[in-house]
Amino acid sequence: MIVCAALVVPPDSSVYVPQELAHRRVGLDYGNGTAYAGLQMLEGAVPREAVSTCAAVTHPGERYAAMMRGEFDATVLQEPWITVAEKAGCRLVSTTFFHGTWVAGPHLDPELYAAFLRGVIRAVRRIKADKRRYVSYFKEGWAAGDAAVQALTPDDFNLGRIQLREPTPIPEGEARWAWDWMASWGLIHGTFDVTTQINRKIAREAHELAFAALSR
Amino acid sequence: MKMTIEPVSAFSSLDVLVAMDEGLFSAEGLELQMASRESRDIRSTTEGALSSPVTNQGRLQERGEATMFQG
Repeated sequence: MIVCAALVVPPDSSVYVPQELAHRRVGLDYGNGTAYAGLQMLEGAVPREAVSTCAAVTHPGERYAAMMRGEFDATVLQEPWITVAEKAGCRLVSTTFFHGTWVAGPHLDPELYAAFLRGVIRAVRRIKADKRRYVSYFKEGWAAGDAAVQALTPDDFNLGRIQLREPTPIPEGEARWAWDWMASWGLIHGTFDVTTQINRKIAREAHELAFAALSR
Repeated sequence: MKMTIEPVSAFSSLDVLVAMDEGLFSAEGLELQMASRESRDIRSTTEGALSSPVTNQGRLQERGEATMFQG
């Protein structure tokens, strides 16, 4: 699945473009993909020394509420809170997408992973054929108790922000870029070693098994 | 075959949730379960810093209670 992350400011903010977030506090849920997407959106707009962030909660609804209370100037949200924020008059000053990546231990059974991949691939095909049918899922889980989310209708969702792709092994170049980028922010240390980060044999075997079965 | 994964949300795993609900894993002979986090597994990201974040992802996998998590 491709995750959509939006850099959002409150309706009364003086910020209209990401460059105006220089030296403004952006609440990020450090350690999660959304936070890293936030850093990437910010560094694309302002010098690193002008990027100012603070720790914010993981729950996007609570992070959105904290921004609306003025605890920070902007934050990064995922769906359905991007839609909630837009309905409330907030502005999206930048939007990006990133891969959700599955992480497993070194002894994952390729047959098991292949069965998982086949289920996911079939689901991706169904959802892409009719995204609107599945937007109700965004109202479940964390969002189940959120009145603003529950008030959303299928027409409120921007289906272009719901992107899915059939899973593939992570390209080595992409993994290396992500490592080097994180190291450049001091988030991880050492140099990238593909043999310790990716089990190529299991990944390749599982994907081949999955696609062989799907093509029969 | 059985497999347990860490909890996921629609924004990052709509495909997994739909596959579970519509029997697409079962059709592949896979009984997929989603673990739930106990309160001891949950720490707030506000306890962390950018260079030393606190994340709940991977904790169940580390303890052997889940095979995979989404990073």
